[in-house]
Order: sequence, then structure tokens, then C-alpha cells
Amino acid sequence: MERTPLDKHNSFRQNDQTSTSSSAHDGHSRHCSDYETNDSSGRAQIANEVDQFLDVLSAIDDKSSGLAEVPDIVPAFAKVIESEIIMYNSGEANRKFGKVAEEDSFFMESVRRISKLTNALSEFSSNTNASLLNHTSAALQRAMAFLEDEFRVLLDGNDHCDGEVSSQNLKKFLSFNSKHDQPDRSAVQRDSDPGDLDEYPPYPAETVARMHEIAKTMILAGYETECYQVYFFSRRNAIRNKMIKMEFDVILNMDEVVKMSWEQLEIEISRWINVVRTCSEIIFPGEKRLAESVFAESPLTRNNLLSNIVRIVVIQLLDFAEATAMAKRSAEKLFKYLDMYEALQNLIPAIDGESCPSEVMSEVAAAVDRIGESVVSIFCDLENSIKSDTARTPVPGGAVHPLTRYVMNYLKYASEYKDTLEKVFGKQTELAKKYIPSVSDKLSAQELEKESESPHNFETMVSTTPFSIQVVTVMDLLDVNLDKKSKLYKDPSLRCLFLMNNGRYILQKAKGSPEIRQVMGDTWCRRRSTVVRLYHKNYQRETWNRVLHCLSHDGLLTNGKVNKPLLKERFKIFNTTFDEIHRTQSTWVVSDEQLQSELRISISAVVIPAYRAFVGRFRQYLDPGKQVDKYVKYQPEDIEGLIEGLFEGNTSSMSRRKT
Amino acid sequence: MPATDFQESSSSPSSFGFSILSRRRDQVHSMESTHEATSQEIELEAFQRQVAERFQDLAAADSHELLSIPWIRKLLDTFLCCQEEFKVIVMNNKSKLNRPPMERHISDFFERSVKALDVCNAIRDGIEQIRQWQKQLEIVLCALGNQRSIGEGQFRRAKKALVDLAIAMLDEKDSNTTLAHRNRSFGRHNAQREQRSFGHFRSLSWSVSRSWSAARQLQAISSNLVAPRGNEIISTNGLNVAVFTMNYVLLFVMWALVAAIPCQDRGLQTHFYMTRQFLWAAPILSLHERILEEVKKRDRRNSCGLLKEIYDIEKCARHMNELTDSIHFPLTDEKEREVKQRVEEVRRVYVAIRDGLDPLERQMKRRKMIWATVLGIKRVKSLNLLDGPSYLLKKLQFSPYQKKNIEQLKGIDTIIAKSKQAKNPTTAQRVNTPGALERPRLAEDLSSVYNPSLMQMLGAAKRASNFILFKDLWPPNSLKSKGK
Repeated sequence: MERTPLDKHNSFRQNDQTSTSSSAHDGHSRHCSDYETNDSSGRAQIANEVDQFLDVLSAIDDKSSGLAEVPDIVPAFAKVIESEIIMYNSGEANRKFGKVAEEDSFFMESVRRISKLTNALSEFSSNTNASLLNHTSAALQRAMAFLEDEFRVLLDGNDHCDGEVSSQNLKKFLSFNSKHDQPDRSAVQRDSDPGDLDEYPPYPAETVARMHEIAKTMILAGYETECYQVYFFSRRNAIRNKMIKMEFDVILNMDEVVKMSWEQLEIEISRWINVVRTCSEIIFPGEKRLAESVFAESPLTRNNLLSNIVRIVVIQLLDFAEATAMAKRSAEKLFKYLDMYEALQNLIPAIDGESCPSEVMSEVAAAVDRIGESVVSIFCDLENSIKSDTARTPVPGGAVHPLTRYVMNYLKYASEYKDTLEKVFGKQTELAKKYIPSVSDKLSAQELEKESESPHNFETMVSTTPFSIQVVTVMDLLDVNLDKKSKLYKDPSLRCLFLMNNGRYILQKAKGSPEIRQVMGDTWCRRRSTVVRLYHKNYQRETWNRVLHCLSHDGLLTNGKVNKPLLKERFKIFNTTFDEIHRTQSTWVVSDEQLQSELRISISAVVIPAYRAFVGRFRQYLDPGKQVDKYVKYQPEDIEGLIEGLFEGNTSSMSRRKT
Repeated sequence: MPATDFQESSSSPSSFGFSILSRRRDQVHSMESTHEATSQEIELEAFQRQVAERFQDLAAADSHELLSIPWIRKLLDTFLCCQEEFKVIVMNNKSKLNRPPMERHISDFFERSVKALDVCNAIRDGIEQIRQWQKQLEIVLCALGNQRSIGEGQFRRAKKALVDLAIAMLDEKDSNTTLAHRNRSFGRHNAQREQRSFGHFRSLSWSVSRSWSAARQLQAISSNLVAPRGNEIISTNGLNVAVFTMNYVLLFVMWALVAAIPCQDRGLQTHFYMTRQFLWAAPILSLHERILEEVKKRDRRNSCGLLKEIYDIEKCARHMNELTDSIHFPLTDEKEREVKQRVEEVRRVYVAIRDGLDPLERQMKRRKMIWATVLGIKRVKSLNLLDGPSYLLKKLQFSPYQKKNIEQLKGIDTIIAKSKQAKNPTTAQRVNTPGALERPRLAEDLSSVYNPSLMQMLGAAKRASNFILFKDLWPPNSLKSKGK
């Protein structure tokens, strides 16, 4: 026997091929030329003979002894395969792999046959069939290296399909193993419609079918690891390229992210969210579909591959999420963080399944928690910023405080993330309860007890959810703060007006947002209305009771006679009081139109009838002419007009005063 | 024996610079609440001892063990334990850590930790790299390992895997020395097939940017890392010693990881501040020296990582290569025996990597403990606003509602602190059981609690537009200008 040194390099193709086959197998050259025909009967004959030999091999029990008869068919068959590869590699466009379906199906079948043959021969102890095994294993290795390259080309070349592969060819290609593949084929066709080239991953159905054939053959031949490696690297790079297309090519170091300005980070977060969404909606489902088609028969390989691909992508995405969670927190970041939270939450179902390694899952969950923690602490910052807003200058005219506007708008937008926030806060409470069992008792006990003490929520709320507790807390803090701010006004009427204004604003905002309304409940809304009305009443009492007091008839009549000096005094007091009120209160602000008109109506309703009655009753006692003009400064109609001018926030209203 | 080593050292705390200084401080400030000062002192001294003991244990490794996967795992264990204990100190001293000069030290530590996270990420890529090499060994085993007789083709298959392995490892070395742009888009024509298969192996860094450099990162971590001076120790009650210790441990662990595992732009020239003042300094510096010696060894000089298993891969691949080059058919009995022997060698290496890498990677993930500490520190800051007594009592009369909420927010911290106390024996107990590395698993427990559920998509687009509106309202100051 000749000794054939192994090549030093990885060169099994074209050139070196001839040296192995021609020099080593002189004895079989006759057969080789015999079998080296492309006609189908010759091929069928070879296949038959090889199968018979395989049967013979499997029938031998004692694998330690050699074979009695070594048929020529084995080297000849190996030669056929090698010449197929030569043909494929010849460079002629129409002879390439994938062009002629019959050729391909014959080749693939032969490769499977030779892998069986190699495996069978390997069972025997060495030196008995060494030369046979050398033939088959070398041909197999060559075929596998060839298929590996083809597999890689198919995987890497997105534009590989060149229209020449007609659907008829595709069917023929698929049919070469139709006996076994019926279910898979339909799966392949269903999953990748040839029309959808834009789909991810962008392989036409025939390419996927070819990949499937190659993968199946390689795995059958025991070349699973090679197949795995090619697929893994190719898909990994493809995902990377996809991300580069999405401008996610610049990998950010955590160090950089933590130091980034918010403007910059905001852009990065949006980009990241985009990528995460693409992953959960397109990339991962697409990868799953592709792997299911290509590795239809090998669930283990498939799951391994998928889990590694998912892992490598997800972990990179999580790095950014983690770094972001470490960045400085502030109130305006809340919404971006919530978007991140949601994006990560949606990633979970996309990677969930048997192919997802549990540790990746738990890392995603941990990242979700961390973002959640950031959200909670941002919310906590909102509380702090309410508490720390201790400006000493009151808002002019008792108008709605900017803090109220800010907090309510913040809550309004936050409540649009209500479901997410419920989850976030629920999770925190859950953690607290889980780790300190006593906390849960304490919490619920506190809830019941303390709710009754809360100024605006003294009735137990209908449903207490974690988020509603947060919102109530913020509202309470706001109330406490507003209460303090109201004390900055020396005029008790203005204090009431300020509280009324802000209370009204809060109520309107809450009513205007279905989510807040739902969170706070109808009882709360009613309660708040009551409180606003209460301020209204207080205001009215504080301001207008004085006026009504001058208009009371008490003490004016002594023994049925009108006390004229007192009457004049009353008119005088009324005029000055009313002027004073009008002067100051037309500079006050009620920006809510409804509240403004409610106020005016209620003032008119109290003041005008009283004045009308007073004037009507006592005007006669004044001397007509000069005296009436002097003391009855306003006609009741004038009063109505002046009341209409209140709460305009108009600092120049004094000049517009009617006479 | 390491055991005797640290028993000796723990029984003679006077040799320990820090405790001497803290005693002196006690003499000066005898008016201070002595009881509290001593309990804090005990805690801080225990921490020093723990760190020293653990590193003495690591330094006890012989030359076979040093830089092996099991050793790296032990190193990570050590790191995580130190981290845990440090965290307890942080929790117990929140208020002090919030004031200068400790505030600055803590934020320095925070910055270093974040930098260390990037190192960990790069190392994770390196582990991934080793995993790919392991796959090539797997092919060699597939080709030569399971058959009764081996044909030429099987040798070719093994040979091809070895060539790929060599390319991959060479590529990794290249990437260590040059940060050249990595061409990812190889053509797909036959002529370029060879090249394309090379490209496939190219290590794409997934976790750090292309310009990132482990060497520079280590430099950044080590910069300004000097032992606190005596007067600083006194003014911070020794807390800055704990922070310095943790910083030093962090630096060393990161440096050792970079030394062992392939990663982008490895460079071990980081300057290590030499100090003999602390108990733990001797074992750490001796390890540092031993690892540097490893670097200098001729056969490791060009290696892409000092990990013992990488060396084993190189060695067994070289042997296998030599063997396949010398194969002639038919195989002689002697050759066949040699093949079997070499295959066994490959298998041993393969199994060691397979069994070691997964737990190692899991441990790397627990690097998130770093994160937890970092967060803990951050929380110290934010909580200050909440539970600072002045704030709580003076500025606001808290409604019960708000108090409850603070309870909730503080809950997590309390949990961490409480379960820490529950799970860990007291420091005094721990001293008596050296080498017993209990690893608190709190972070894992916390993350495993979460049971993900499906969440419906919300009107994100709508909110996005809302957010723009909202941004117009920000900052609130802008609102103050106009009422309506």
C-alpha cells in the first residue's frame, strides 16, 4: 500500500484532488471511468451497489476482523463524489451548485451515502480496511468542506439568488428527498414565501430549502459542529450588520454612557429602544423561523444556536440598559426610562421559549428591575422636588402655582404609562413584602389607618394599587406644599382664592385625564370638588360678609324711624368697602373660566339682591338729588358690571372703574 | 500552608497599620462615644482581615493552579465577597459617606466600578472567544475521538479544525497588538473563500467600542490610587481605608482578569501603587509579581491570555498538529497509540474548558454585584434627602401617607441590610472560620423573584408626542414666567 502523506494545509479542492485520486487508486481506474457517467441508470447502479455493500457491512457482527471481499465500488464511488465537486468548482456558471437540481440531488444523496459508508467502515478495527476508509473519509471530508463553503455562501450572500432558479427547479430540488421530508418541506415553503425578499432574514425560500438540505446532510454525517460554527458566525455577523444599518454600530462603553449629557443620552436611548424593538419584533422571530426551517430535524442544534445568538445580542443590549440605569437620574428622564422598561418587557416574550437560556432570561428580568428601580427613584425625586420647593414669594393674584401645573402635567403624562407604572411600583412592593414578611402587614395596616388622616382622602379609596398610592402621595405632598404657600398670602380671601384656584386646576387636570381619574377614583373627585367649594364658601364669607353686614337693615330703624346718620355711614362704608374690594380683587387671577363665572355669579347672587333691597328700602330717606348722588354711588346694575370685572388679573383695572 | 499564615496575622493585629492609627485616634478623641467608635472599628478591621485572608488563600496557589480557570473563579469569588462586606460597611455608614471628604472617595469608587464594568464586558467577549476555540477542539475530538479506526479524511478534518483554531488564536493576538479596523465584509467569491473563513472567526467585539483599550482602562482605574494619609484616616474614622482597600482589590482583580483572558488591547503595564502598610498588600503584590513573571516566560510572551487553559489549548493543538503532519497510511500500531494519547490530551483540555467556562461566565455575570454596590452608594445619596433627620423632622410635617412611602422606598435597603445580617454570620464568627467562602446570593435571589409576564403594547407613539409637549413645560422655571 502506498503511504499518502496528509496535506499540510487545508486544501482539499481542485488541484490537490487529482493527486490523491489518480496516484492512489490506480487499481480502480477502470471502474472509475465506467461509473463516471452522468446518465441516471449508471448512477442508480452505483447507488445500488453501495447500498448492497452497506448491507453487507452491517450484517457483519465481528468488526475486529477484516472484510473478506473488498469491492471496487467503494473507491469508484468516492471518485464520483470528488469529480462532482470538481465539476461544481470548475467555475462554469451553469454547473455551479444549486443550478441543476438533478445534479444537486444526486450529489447530496451520494454524500449521505458516503457518510454512512465511512461510519460503517470506522466501526471496523484499523488496518483491515484502511484503504477503503481512506477513500471514503477523504471524499466525505472533501464533500463536507465543500458543503460548508456553500452553506456559508448561502448564509452570507443575501443577494445570492439570481432569478435563474425557477420555482420548478426549486420543486425538483426539494423532491430529491421527498420521501422523508414531506412535513419539513411544507414548513419551509410556508415560512418563507419567495415573494417576501424584504422579510428578515432576507432569504428566498429556495435558499432556505438549500440551507436546510446542507445542514441536514452535514449533521447526518457528524459534521454538526462545523455546521453550527458556520451558521453561528454568519448569523451573528448578519445581526451585527443589521444593527449597523440601524445606526447602532457605535458600541458605547458603560463608562461613556454614565458620563453622557442627557441630550446625548436621550438620542442614544431612542436608538436603543428602536433596536430592542427591532430585535423583539423582527430579528428574534426571524432568526427563530430561519433556524426552525434550516434545522428542522435537529431541535437540539437549533436551540443551542438560537440561544447563543439571542444571548450575544441581548447581553450587549442589556449593558446599555444597565449603564443608563446608573446614569444620573432626574425627573424629565422618567418617560424615556419607562419607554426602555416597556421595550425590555416586550423583549421577554420574543426570546422566551425552549431556546432561551434561563440565565439570559433572568438577566433581562434583572435589567427590567433595575430600570424599574430607576423609575421609582425618579418618582421619588418628584416627591423631593415638591418638598424642596419652598420659594417665599407668592404667585401674584393667587393664581395657579407653577408647581401645581408642573406636578399635574407630570402626573398626567406619567399616568399614560399607568399600566407600566403599576407594574414598576407593584414590583417594588412585592420585593419589600417578600423579603420582610412583617412589612406587608405593616403596610396594609398603615394604609387603613393613615388614609383616614390624609386631608383629602379621608374616605377609603375604592381600589388601592401601588401606582395610585404613589399618585396620592404626590398629590398629598402637593397639597401640603400648597397649604404652606397659601400662608404666604396675608389676605385670607386671597389665600382662599389661591387654594381654590389650585384645587380647581388639580381637579380639572385629574378629570381631563381618564387615567388619573381612574387611579384616583370618583370619590376622590367628589371630595376634591367639595374642598374647592369649601374654599369658595370661605372666600365668600371672608370678602363679602363685610359687605353684606353694611347692607343689613339691623339697627337702622329705631322706633320705626330711620337713623339717618347711621344710614349715611352705612352707605359710605359700603362704597369704600366695595371700591376697595373691587380695586384689589380685579387684580386677582382666576384663569379657569368656569370658576371665574361661578364666582361672579355667586357674588352677584348674594350682593346684588341685598344691595337692591337696601337701596330700594332706604333711598327714600335720603334727600333726592345731591345726597342721593353722594351716598348711592352705584346703581345695582353698576354693581353687577363691577363684579364682572373681578378676577381678571388686571392691574390697571382701577382706571377702568365705572363712575 | 495558608491557614497558619492568616491565623498568625489575625492573632497579631498590632502589625496592622490601620489599627494602630485608629487606636491613636481613640486616644485623641476619647470624648467621642467610645462604644460606637469601637464597633465601627471592629467592622473596619475585620474587613481588612477578610481581604487579607482571602488573598493569602489565592496567593497560596501553586504554579499549576495560578491563572487556571478554577483559580480565576476563586479570584472572582474573593472579589465578590470583599464587595459584599464593603457593601455592609457602606450601608452602616451612610451618613458619614455622604459628607466630604468621604463623598469624594465614594464617587471615585463609583467611577472606578463603572470602568471595571467595561473591563468585565470585554472579558466576557474574551470568554466567548475561548468558547469558539473550544468548538474547534470539539471538531478534533469528533474527527478522531470516537472511531475504532481512523481514515485519511478524518485526519484532514482534524487538521482543518486545527488550522482554523490557529487562525482564530493568531487573530486574537493580532487584535491585541493592533486596533486596526476589522474588515467584516469579505466578498463571497470562490477566490476569497479562504479569506472569508478567516473573517468568520474574527473576534467582533460586542461589548466595548472598537477604540476601547483594556490597558488604558486599567490605567484609568489605577490613576490617583494612593494610600490614604494618616491624618485623612483619622478624619474619616478609617472609612477611607476601606474604600481604598476596595479600590485596590478592584484594580488588582481587573488587572488579573485582563492578564488571563483575551480582550481588546491587553496591556499589563499598569502601575501598581506599592504599599506594605496593609495586611492584604503582601499577598496581592506577590500575586502581581508572579503573574508578571508568567508574562515574561518565553512561551507565553506572545500569548493572547495567560489563562492556563489557553496555554493548554496551544500546547495540545501544537502536539496534534505535529502528529497529523507525521501521519502516513496505513497507521502503524505505534502511531495509532500516539493518536489515542494525543486525542486524550485534547479531550482533557476540552473537558476542563467546558466544565470551567460556564461557571466562570456565570460568575462574571455576578459582576452585577458591583452594580448593586454602585447603586447602593447612589441610593445613599438620594436617600439622604429622605431620611436625613433634619429633612424629616423640620422641613415637612410628613403626612402618614408620605411616611409610609418612604418606608416603601427604604424597604429595599433595609431588606438588603437585614438579609445580610441574617445570612452572614457576624464578622467575628467569620474570622474564626477562615477559607469558608460564603457567598451571599442576595442579588441572585432578588433577580429570581421576578416572574416575567406578557405586557401589552401601549400607545407609545401617542406618548412620544405627548412627551414633546411635556418637554416644552420643562424646566418648571419657564412656567413661572407666565401663569397661563
